[in-house]
This record gives sequence, C-alpha cells and structure tokens, in this order.
Amino acid sequence: MSTPLQVYEPFKAGLPKLGRYWKSLWSRRTFIKEYSKSELREQHFDSVFGQLWLVINPLLLSAVYFILIIIIGGATDSARYAHLTASLFLFYLVANSLTGGVKSVTAGQRLILNTAFPRIMLPISALVIAIFKFLPTLIVFIVIKAIVGSPFTIEMLWAIPVLLITIFLALGLAITISCINVYFRDIASFLPYLTRTLLYLSPILYAASDLKPSLRVIEVVNPLFPILDSWSQAMVQGEAPELSSMLQGLAWATGIFFIGTYFFLSREREFAVRL
Amino acid sequence: MSSLSVSNAHLTNELAVSIRGVGLTYTTSIDKKPTLKARAKSLGRGKKQTRVVRALDDINLDIQYGHVLGVIGTNGAGKSSLMRCVAGILPPSQGRIEVYGSVSTLLALGVGFNPSMSGRDNVFLGGLAAGMSREEIAGNFDEIAEFSELGDAIDAPMRTYSSGMYARLAFSVAAVVRPDILIIDEALSTGDAKFKEKSLNRVKELRSDDRALILVSHAMQTLRETCNDVAWLHKGQLVQRGEPNVVIDAYQEFLHLGKSAAIDEDV
Repeated sequence: MSTPLQVYEPFKAGLPKLGRYWKSLWSRRTFIKEYSKSELREQHFDSVFGQLWLVINPLLLSAVYFILIIIIGGATDSARYAHLTASLFLFYLVANSLTGGVKSVTAGQRLILNTAFPRIMLPISALVIAIFKFLPTLIVFIVIKAIVGSPFTIEMLWAIPVLLITIFLALGLAITISCINVYFRDIASFLPYLTRTLLYLSPILYAASDLKPSLRVIEVVNPLFPILDSWSQAMVQGEAPELSSMLQGLAWATGIFFIGTYFFLSREREFAVRL
Repeated sequence: MSSLSVSNAHLTNELAVSIRGVGLTYTTSIDKKPTLKARAKSLGRGKKQTRVVRALDDINLDIQYGHVLGVIGTNGAGKSSLMRCVAGILPPSQGRIEVYGSVSTLLALGVGFNPSMSGRDNVFLGGLAAGMSREEIAGNFDEIAEFSELGDAIDAPMRTYSSGMYARLAFSVAAVVRPDILIIDEALSTGDAKFKEKSLNRVKELRSDDRALILVSHAMQTLRETCNDVAWLHKGQLVQRGEPNVVIDAYQEFLHLGKSAAIDEDV
C-alpha cells in the first residue's frame, strides 16, 4: 500500500512542524499576492481617483496635524512639516497593517471553515496591502522634501534598513493582533484608541529631541519610537541614524514577531472551532 | 501539502481515506462572541464561560476509490465535523486519519469567503488557498464558469448572488478541479431541478472515474441512487454502515417517519 499523503492526528500544544508549514505557506505565495490585489481593487485603489485618494488622504492628514502644531507650538518651519509628513506616512504603514490585520482572520471565516491552509497568510496579506498603500505616500514625501529644500544626501539610504525593520514590526503586530481578535472580538473596537495613543506617544507631532526628560520613559516603552526617530533622521535631515536606535527598533520587532507568531502558530489549528 | 492533481492514478477499491478511532472534542464559548469586556465582567465570579462539545466519538471508517459514501444523520450528528477532520481543517482530538490523495471540499458553500469580491476573484482565491497554482485555476476557469451557468454574473460581487447561484458556483469549482477525493456537504440540494440533475450526473461521472466521493445529504432518494455505501452518524457516533437501502431504511425508522414523501424528496 502506498504511504498516506496526509495524516491528521491530535496535536499537542505547541508549534506545527515548521519546515512543512513553511513549504505549505511558500507554495501559496500567489494567494497573498492575489488576495492583496483583489482587496485593493475592491477598495477601488486600482482606479485613478482611488490612487489619488491614497495620496490626498495622507496629505490632508498631515495638513490637519500641521495646523495643530502651529496652534499649539507657535511658529514653525518647513523642516518641521517635512518631519511631520515623513513620520506620519511611516506611522500609517504600521497603523494600516494593524487595522487591516485585526480582522483578517475573523473575516476569513468562510475560507478557514472550508479550506485547509496556513492561516498566517491572512495577516501577511494585510501587511502587503498596507505596504501598497504606503508606497505612493513615499513619492509624495520625496516631492515635499524637494519643495521645502531639505537636503538629499547619501545617508538617506539608511532609510532602507529602517523601513525594513518597520515592515518586520508591522508584520509581527498584524499577526499578533489578528490572533488576539479571535479570542477577544472587541479588540477591533479598541484598536482606534490604541493607534491614536500610539500616534501621540510617537515622535511625529514633535521631534524626539524635544521630549521633556521626565517623559523619556516613552522612548523605552513605545516600540515605534526608535524607528520613527531613525526614519526622520535619515529621510528628513539626511543624516545617519544612531545605531542604538535602530537596534532597539529591531529588538522590538523581533520580539513582537516571535512571540506573536508563536501564539498564532500554536493556536491556529483551533481557529476553525473559535470562529 | 500537495496541490490538487488533475490526473488520477488510483485504482478502484484502493484505499482513499482511513479513519481510525477518531474523536473530536472542543470547547465553545457560551457568549455569542468572546470579548474582553465579557471576560472582564465575569472575572471575579468564577463563572464558567465555556461548554464542552463532544462532536465525534471513536469513529472508524474506510473510504475506497471508485466508491461514493453517503453520510446521513440528524442535525448536529457530527457529519460536518467529520468532513472537516478529513479535509484537515479541524485536527482530531483522538485517533488518526490517513488521506491517500488530494481532497477538495465543498463544505456548506465553501467558495465566496469575501462577498464583496466577484465570483471570479473568489474562485481564484479559494483555489489558491487550497494550494492550486494560478495556471491550474485559469486552465479550469472557463469550464467552471460554463458548468455553473452563471454567465456574466461571474464578474458581479458575490453578495449580489442568490443562494442557488452561490451553490452552483461552489459545486462547479469542486467538481471541475477533479480532486482525488471530493467531499460535498449538503450542497447538492440548493440548485434548481436542472442543475441538480447535472450535478448528480457529474457525481456519477466522477465515481466511474475512480475517484472517492463523500456526500453529506438529507436527500435520501439521491443517496439511494448514487451511493455504494451509507454511514449513519448519531450524536458523534457511527450507528450503522452498509448497503444504502438497509441503512437508510433503519435511519428513517429511527426518525419515526417511515417512508414518507417528505424525506425521500430532495429538500
């Protein structure tokens, strides 16, 4: 008799066989691509005005926050505006993967109940969608930077590793929150408050160096703080960011990714009965 | 995990699925939706939030290629749970399931997980999630669209579909991709008479093509006509398995319905 193609047995708590899981995930990479594409198409981001909205939306946002800064902080300059837009756009990459990720598993209910596939594809797709929404804003920022006359230097290339760390962090957050939402469905309703708090705790409306010494603790507890600071250093000032900040950001991203992925993988086999 | 193969290299009576002592227990939350708020509110009271459901209990079943197995039972008998175990969606709590081929599931209208996307997108996404390649789906897509007889509606969002259209598309996907093992869970009965006949013919065609089929249905007449074997589940246990007519008669007797028209009819 031939050997069985698949064997299903009771699972002990813990991780599935990672090698097989990865193979199964990799063979479905087109799903992630196609899913993100159809999701974006459904949100009309394949049309001219849809793409325009992707650009106008963050511009309006940064304009609103700029008004806020002028009113609260008094006089301000164009470099400040560049800092605001650069940081805000990167922040929205993380925020979008959180808001997209939170319901990715629960919204995929039908698929989960009817098809066997690595569930982690769903939050990964949420991240891919967030990246697609981020790319046009990057171009907008380059234009803004040119207009305000901020320097273009070779050190700006440091933004690439910073961006990679941010994507890694966003992936970890999307995986974690999608798993939490299976068990506590109201996390999705808390999320806007969470992201808003994260926004104010991050060096976006203010520069990291302006932070009062008594509030320095934010720097340590906010995972986004070090990377946003490094991002602004590289993209706005065109200087090499501090290595310690980048390492701190990487440590946060790695920690969140591994803890979140561990929970997701050890739990995903019971998602079908939880939905 | 294997992708769904288009060719079939299995012989009649070769083992397709072996289910050995399978049990499934899970805890469900009593609250409609598990929320942090509900958890926090009941924190001090020590109130139990969950209920343990024993969905399957020591099931032993073999399914051979070239055979059609009918699965019957009252609502909540564990039919769908068993099918999900075979498809690898739910891991069993006890026992072992061995699957010797690719499985395609048509479990209670599987396609169309995102109702705001078009039928076409949903077919592609469902197929990709099941492990097929883009080319494989594209190669089958025309046949799927034609079999479902949806016409232009294939590009309309699935939320605009009627339940019959839904079922037709779902059946077409599952039947056209020619899996080694096809599981159809109560999806045959939603179409109109014409489509129902067409899908029954398809089932027979797949049977003679030496594939293994599992039909979960309440349509007794259909099962009598198409199955080689019928398994009757009740409260998670296998009550009887054997000749369709024998098992179905016993089941109908059990229901105290006798041979009434209401259950012979395909509803």
